[in-house]
Amino acid sequence: MDGSISISNLEKVYGEGAERTKAIEDLSFDIEGGEFVSVVGPSGCGKSTLLYLIAGFLERSSGDISVDGTSVSAPGTDRGVVFQDYALFPWKTVKENVLYGLEEAGVDGEEADATAQRFIDMMDLDGFEGKYPKELSGGMKQRVALARTLAYDPKILLMDEPFGALDQPLREQLQDRLLDIWEDLGKTVVFITHDVEEAVYLSERVLIMTRHPGTKKDVTEVNLDHSQTREEVITSQAFTDTKNAVWKELREETKSEVEP
Amino acid sequence: MATSTLWEAERVPAPFDRVARFAFDWLPLLIVALLWSFVSGAIVPEAILPAPLAVGAKMWELIVTGTVLPHLFISLVRVFLGLALSVVVGVALGVGMAQSDRLEDFFDILLALTYPIPKTALVPLAILWLNVGTKTAVLIVFLACLLPIILNANNAAEDVDQNLLWSAKMMGTDGRRLLWKVVFPATIPEIMTGVRQAMPIAFIALVSAELIASNQGIGYLILTSGQLGNYPTMFANIVIISAVAFAAVRGFEELRERVIVWT
Repeated sequence: MDGSISISNLEKVYGEGAERTKAIEDLSFDIEGGEFVSVVGPSGCGKSTLLYLIAGFLERSSGDISVDGTSVSAPGTDRGVVFQDYALFPWKTVKENVLYGLEEAGVDGEEADATAQRFIDMMDLDGFEGKYPKELSGGMKQRVALARTLAYDPKILLMDEPFGALDQPLREQLQDRLLDIWEDLGKTVVFITHDVEEAVYLSERVLIMTRHPGTKKDVTEVNLDHSQTREEVITSQAFTDTKNAVWKELREETKSEVEP
Repeated sequence: MATSTLWEAERVPAPFDRVARFAFDWLPLLIVALLWSFVSGAIVPEAILPAPLAVGAKMWELIVTGTVLPHLFISLVRVFLGLALSVVVGVALGVGMAQSDRLEDFFDILLALTYPIPKTALVPLAILWLNVGTKTAVLIVFLACLLPIILNANNAAEDVDQNLLWSAKMMGTDGRRLLWKVVFPATIPEIMTGVRQAMPIAFIALVSAELIASNQGIGYLILTSGQLGNYPTMFANIVIISAVAFAAVRGFEELRERVIVWT
């Protein structure tokens, strides 16, 4: 059980009759356990819908999504989700937020406490355990959200434009932190973003989606050497070439958006 | 961002600022008292409109002799019971209606129709069912407070952030547990706002009910002293219940700040 995801002939339709819109059409895609995949596409291409379908928040209209060979029917602790707006429980402190998933899983007492503290420390949040989310900056809130999700140890991280609301330096910090976590903990990551640079920098593969209804346009393999520093990676030829290739494909889709 | 300001020491107002602020807040009340003093005697005979000082003296007398205290006590019990009952029923209904369309459809029209009814108009009817006394007063306070509390709880429960619910579901919370772990805590701030809004209504309803349907309580004292032409006592009781209601609301606001430290 390594956190692989298999999507076949997926279709999602919203509404009925005249209101009926197809958000996702005939999408098939496999993600290996431990893989880091980003999904990019023009706005309204259904990339968030895809993520919510994998999460089990939405019901698919047809086709199948399975995680480790089991068809997804509801949310569950084998997956963890990180939202752009953090979705922290405002009435809980940092520590209580991180403890939540553990308590729900029946872990409590010292064991839960130690695990929560480990992820709080990993996210450099020590000293902030007793703070409420409103007392934290956006970057810190997202680190709490990550700690909360990692604490209950899901095999798959589903991330919906998690760094979209942060400014550039913070976003870069959190990207590098996420890469470290991914390398250390071996999670499967599905990362939704509209930022091509972010997608290419982070992932092993980039899934490019077509504009409405969304389906797979292309998949780009990324081969970057992350043992290098961020500066070296970003300025490397491989990075630039891959970024340009993804950008061009995306551009074809967004260009057609101007048509009536 | 917001964090940086958190670590700055709060600006401590200079003593003079505080005094000035206090004086400013209470100035309108002072003006009303002065106008009242002027009108009483000069324009309206003092027998009908006793001067504030006379009312103040009467208040003092009512309090130190203890004559008002049993009535005040019974009034407070009634207002507390009515309000507490409306919070229990109102929150359950408001949150319940947000969870279940069937429940919402069932109550929707009833609530919309009964909202504009002045609940104090039901006192004569309530006397028929429950006789004169505490039960009637509690029922009227309960009915008067119920709708604002239902509405606040309902709005809050309908507006619970979808991502919070999804996050909790992802971590294994579902069904009724979701209600306790997420929906309810998320609605507490607005529930308390609803209670705060209902408090003055509760006192209005209380006094109205006691004026008609009681042998005890501040409303009863107001009525009987008025009927006997003892206007200083009547005014003194009106001021006492206003002051108590004011203190109750302020106290509750203080409590609210302490309970919902996270907002």
